[in-house]
Amino acid sequence: MSNRYVCVPTVTVLAMMKARLTGAVKGHALLKKKADALTLRFRQILKKIVQTKQEMGKTMRAGAFALTEAKYAAGEFATTVLDSVESASVRVNAQQDNVAGVKIPRFERVMTGASDTKMHLTGLGKGGQQVQYCRKAYMTAVELLVELASLQTAFLTLDEAIKTTNRRVNALDNVVIPKLENTIAYIKGELDELEREEFFRLKKVQANKRKVADELVKRRLRENGPTPNGAKGALHDMMPGVDQDADIVF
Amino acid sequence: MYGFEALWFNIKDGYLDGVVRGHRSGLLTTADYNNLCQCETLDDIKLNLTGTDYGPYLANEPSPLHTTTIVDRCTEKLVDDWNKMRANADEPLGEFMDYCTYGHMIDNVVLIVTGTLHERDVHELLEKCNPLGMFDSIATLAVASSMRELYRLVLVDTPLAPYFSESLSAEDLDEMNIEIMRNTLYKAYLDDFAAFCRRLGGATAEVMGGLLSFEADRRALNITLNSIGTELTRDDRRKLYSNFGLLYPHGHHELAAAEDFDQIRSAMEKCPPYQAIFTKLGFGESQMLDKVLFEEEVRRLCDTFEQQFHYSVFFAYMRLREQEIRNIMWIAECVAQDQKIRINDGIVYLF
Amino acid sequence: MAQAGLPDGRLLAVIGDEDTVTGFLLAGVGNVDLRRKGNFLVVNEKTTVKKVEDAFKDYTQREDIAILLINQHVANLIRHLINNYARPVPAILEIPSKEHPYDPNQDSILLRVKNVLGGDLGAA
Repeated sequence: MSNRYVCVPTVTVLAMMKARLTGAVKGHALLKKKADALTLRFRQILKKIVQTKQEMGKTMRAGAFALTEAKYAAGEFATTVLDSVESASVRVNAQQDNVAGVKIPRFERVMTGASDTKMHLTGLGKGGQQVQYCRKAYMTAVELLVELASLQTAFLTLDEAIKTTNRRVNALDNVVIPKLENTIAYIKGELDELEREEFFRLKKVQANKRKVADELVKRRLRENGPTPNGAKGALHDMMPGVDQDADIVF
Repeated sequence: MYGFEALWFNIKDGYLDGVVRGHRSGLLTTADYNNLCQCETLDDIKLNLTGTDYGPYLANEPSPLHTTTIVDRCTEKLVDDWNKMRANADEPLGEFMDYCTYGHMIDNVVLIVTGTLHERDVHELLEKCNPLGMFDSIATLAVASSMRELYRLVLVDTPLAPYFSESLSAEDLDEMNIEIMRNTLYKAYLDDFAAFCRRLGGATAEVMGGLLSFEADRRALNITLNSIGTELTRDDRRKLYSNFGLLYPHGHHELAAAEDFDQIRSAMEKCPPYQAIFTKLGFGESQMLDKVLFEEEVRRLCDTFEQQFHYSVFFAYMRLREQEIRNIMWIAECVAQDQKIRINDGIVYLF
Repeated sequence: MAQAGLPDGRLLAVIGDEDTVTGFLLAGVGNVDLRRKGNFLVVNEKTTVKKVEDAFKDYTQREDIAILLINQHVANLIRHLINNYARPVPAILEIPSKEHPYDPNQDSILLRVKNVLGGDLGAA
């Protein structure tokens, strides 16, 4: 029998199984709640991801165009920029959000204040304004992208968490709880069966005893002759345990 | 002086004068730009350009085209024109033409130098150099590992050597911000170019004087505008201004002290020619300034063709062609990035 | 791990065409450490897929990088790597480039979003 736990059907095990069942049901309810909370957050994030991605498309386009404007005004400055890189002035800090016990990394843009004066002076002779304008456009883009990165990691983490949680919920729902219920039913059934057997045995013993007593009475009657008055009394004398017989032990 | 110039000019430089004026008539007109603006794809642009002087250069470009390809091919056309003329030029026209390209040379040197200091591949760097500013020993720039060595080994042999030695000490070379170095060199170059034109005398001196002082003033204006809010001090700024031009010297004092756009504006407006430019701008509108200045430059460059017997036409041709290439780049970018609403913001019509 | 412990946060890395990289470097994301190891790669016609792959692997394994920005058309070159990339950090972001406008249908992440939402991106 695969759909129940292998156990000895006794009252103790029954109590244990019942405790496990309550635990499982409670756990199921909690996990379900968690899954719901996660899914709720997940849905919000999904919406935002799609929006932000589309917004990013626009922002990046604006950025690319600002770069074109800068190139128009300042000439070819890409190499200068590539070569003046020293230390990042824009970095991200990873923090953790907690949604129903799931840790979600969240990024935050930080300006380190590292000297990027080299960038400030790009296009000093001509087109510097456009370069700075382009710089700002890309700063906006970075901000948006950092936000998007947060959303995206949240998406991946939540996706994973929801899958695990759902797996657990389903495992409880479809495997553990039915199995426990089956086991309990089985134990109950076995116990009932035992009880019925016991009852039947008692009946049998009683009937047996009665038969023996009857035969005794009959034999006495046969030996002593019928004594209509004394028959009953004799029976009682012979079987003192029939009426108050409660504990028969084999 | 005018009459005498005409005596020898056509004997010596008449041919090239004719050639450059011919090239000038090949520049795109407003009608051409209108057609270009109607283009939907880069291939359309190519098709439109095949009817112009750029035709042979773009004809064999396979699709898909990139804006950079178009710009490169157009630049190639200018470079070919320029080199052909340079090869035929007699002195001092040859020297004059060399002077015109020193600006690009400065850019190239700066580019190679920074690239080398950051251990970049030399061939990659050479590809990015402006072909007009190429010189024979440019590839050897990459052998140097420090600025001082660079100067000692390579730069002394280039035409730029005096600019380096005049304005930069060895210590400067090691730690100077590359942009400041570029602008210091450019200032030295402009001063030198202006002096050279004065030596040439005649109509060349007159016309080039106007063009160069505009260029110098524009640089001064840009440097001021772009250094607001940076760590560049007044004196640093002051050092980057050229020693001639309409703003020299009083305007420079005011510019050096200027802290915002309106102060710059009031400094500039004291010069009548610039007053006209600034009245076109609303208060606080520094964004449009570049374009207005480009337009003014183009107007001045076009005017040079009205005079005879001087070398400025070569300079003007180069600058106009460059502006035209910028226009083409702008149009191509607008088309490629699907931003056609902005297309008119960047075109400076030449004629 | 030593680098990740830096108080001033982690880096953004960029793999993309020259314009994109230039733009982001202008914004100040660029970082070159003492060993001259940068956090950006310029991809042009001459860049081999191998190089892009290496850079991708390198950046995704570095502790000091939190976000990796990659141009979509470059991402398409190494799509197999990106689709198999499952870790949440560093986050991979596909960004449009100048000549390749953003196409949501190629984005690995958005495709997953789409799966979850049941197909229609527009309705989300």
